Amino acid sequence: MRTAAVVIALILLLLCTIVLGVTCGAVHVSLRTVILALLHSRALSAEDRVILMEIRLPRIFAAAIVGAALSAAGLLFQGLFRNPLADPYVIGSSGGAVLGATIGMVLLPQVSWLGFSAIAMMAFAGSVATIAVVYSLARVGGTTQVVTLLLAGFAVSTMLSYSSYFVEVLDRDYGLGLRVLASWLHGSVEVPRWTQLGVIAVLLVASLASAAILSRRLNTLALGDEYAQQLGVHVERVRIGIILTGSLLAAVAVSLGGLIGFVGLIVPHLARLIAGPDHVRLLPITVLTGAAFLVLTDTLARTLLAPAELPVGILMAFIGGPFFLYLLRRRKRGYAT
Amino acid sequence: MRSLLSFERVSFSFGHRRVFDCADLHIENRTCTALIGPNGGGKTTLLRLAAGLLQPSSGRVLFEGTNITDLSRRDVARRIALVPQQLDIPFMFTVQQIVEQGRTPYIGTWGGLKARDRKAVERAIELTSIGSLRHRIYNELSGGERQRVKIALGLAQGPELLLLDEPTQNLDFGRLVELMALLRMLHQEDISILAAVHDLALIPHTFSSVVLISPDAPLLVGSPQEVLRPNILEGAFQCPAPAFDFNPDVYPRGEFAL
Repeated sequence: MRTAAVVIALILLLLCTIVLGVTCGAVHVSLRTVILALLHSRALSAEDRVILMEIRLPRIFAAAIVGAALSAAGLLFQGLFRNPLADPYVIGSSGGAVLGATIGMVLLPQVSWLGFSAIAMMAFAGSVATIAVVYSLARVGGTTQVVTLLLAGFAVSTMLSYSSYFVEVLDRDYGLGLRVLASWLHGSVEVPRWTQLGVIAVLLVASLASAAILSRRLNTLALGDEYAQQLGVHVERVRIGIILTGSLLAAVAVSLGGLIGFVGLIVPHLARLIAGPDHVRLLPITVLTGAAFLVLTDTLARTLLAPAELPVGILMAFIGGPFFLYLLRRRKRGYAT
Repeated sequence: MRSLLSFERVSFSFGHRRVFDCADLHIENRTCTALIGPNGGGKTTLLRLAAGLLQPSSGRVLFEGTNITDLSRRDVARRIALVPQQLDIPFMFTVQQIVEQGRTPYIGTWGGLKARDRKAVERAIELTSIGSLRHRIYNELSGGERQRVKIALGLAQGPELLLLDEPTQNLDFGRLVELMALLRMLHQEDISILAAVHDLALIPHTFSSVVLISPDAPLLVGSPQEVLRPNILEGAFQCPAPAFDFNPDVYPRGEFAL
């Protein structure tokens, strides 16, 4: 089967990017050392062990999770809005995340739980809360107008982003906090603890399972809400499912990597070039491509200017922006790709 | 005998604009019915009420004697299919993928298409003769081809009643003749048809009965000979009688097979 072959190829690609990520970095660890350690024939040196187990591997897994979550969220929202230009933040989760992170930074700088900083937790809470507000604003008389959802999301998100500047102005240690916050907002994958990865991995698996259930319905929604209703689909229920799942995925990504643009926009496009528009086939392909793509970009982000680091969001804008414009230009037909 | 589709004292309004007021209508099984009336008269609304997509503000819509609101959405979808005027699809779905969506009411959350579903899809593709289009992108098809694909999508639902909203729109003469032949064939396959049409000249040869929606008058149901009379149409369409100066009994049938 063709999809199975593509999925296997992508798993191999993901493994390759992970191996590349493990060996590359400010300190070079040779592939041979890693393989020998894996085969238990020779233990790692204490220094290599810390670099690999406490820094690189957790960060690579975090990048893979962020890439997978953002790409899957992008796919869900593009399907919901029947528009290939939607991204994971389209209904406003980014604004809530920014405000949440800022408040966490300013008010609760010392708090952490299971390894999550206050910034990460508040960003997660902020994006979920924003979606709840936007959704209830857009819901009129038992149904949700998709255009209202977009506009309400835009307005709320913009209001919240600017409110975060207000919180920053009120902060007394202004300078230092702002810098940490800025790096976070530009999207950089932090080095998580293994407990953090565990919690996030559970959330990711749960939301991907929900996305898998919804993927068949996304094909039906492509015919339009009324046609989907005619085919016996409970459109409103499916819509709530997509919004919840997509927002949870976006919040998962935000809590590990801040705001990283373009991934959620581009990866579903790439996947459609490979597999066509059928969402059932697209989901696994999108998830794996997104994971491999972000592991690769994050590896570049920490090696290009080593020992200094580039926030991966900036690199993504450099790579993703032009690539996206290229896709846009080659879009000759109405709804192509 | 129970009618296939019945409207019992159905009223419906969009806001303050009343479209139907205590309308009664009975469509018998195995009929091919044309729905005619002036623009904005409620043809599309009637079809959407019949498909259960709109609920009447009072009165009942019955399908084989059961109130349509008592049936689950999925049950309705297996028995009634509505082919809309417009079907715009984002992304590059192929014709085959689109027609397969017609099986949605038979597929559970996890399952894919089973042998029975594939058979129904093939049957729909065969009846509408779109086999040669199956791998084409829907968005790149011509108006006539899209019309056939939309009908195939409706047929894949396996309906007893097929509702068509202005299927003749944007069709050239050749495609029009093909479409009428298709409707007659579906009728012979024991699918009941209710189609909103504008071109009255198409009716006598293909449709066995006519429903006329006229402003401020009850729905009129009858054979083409009974309904397509200048004096009746004059009132409904508010247009002088000579415009309808064709005799339904002798209107061309053989030559163009309309």
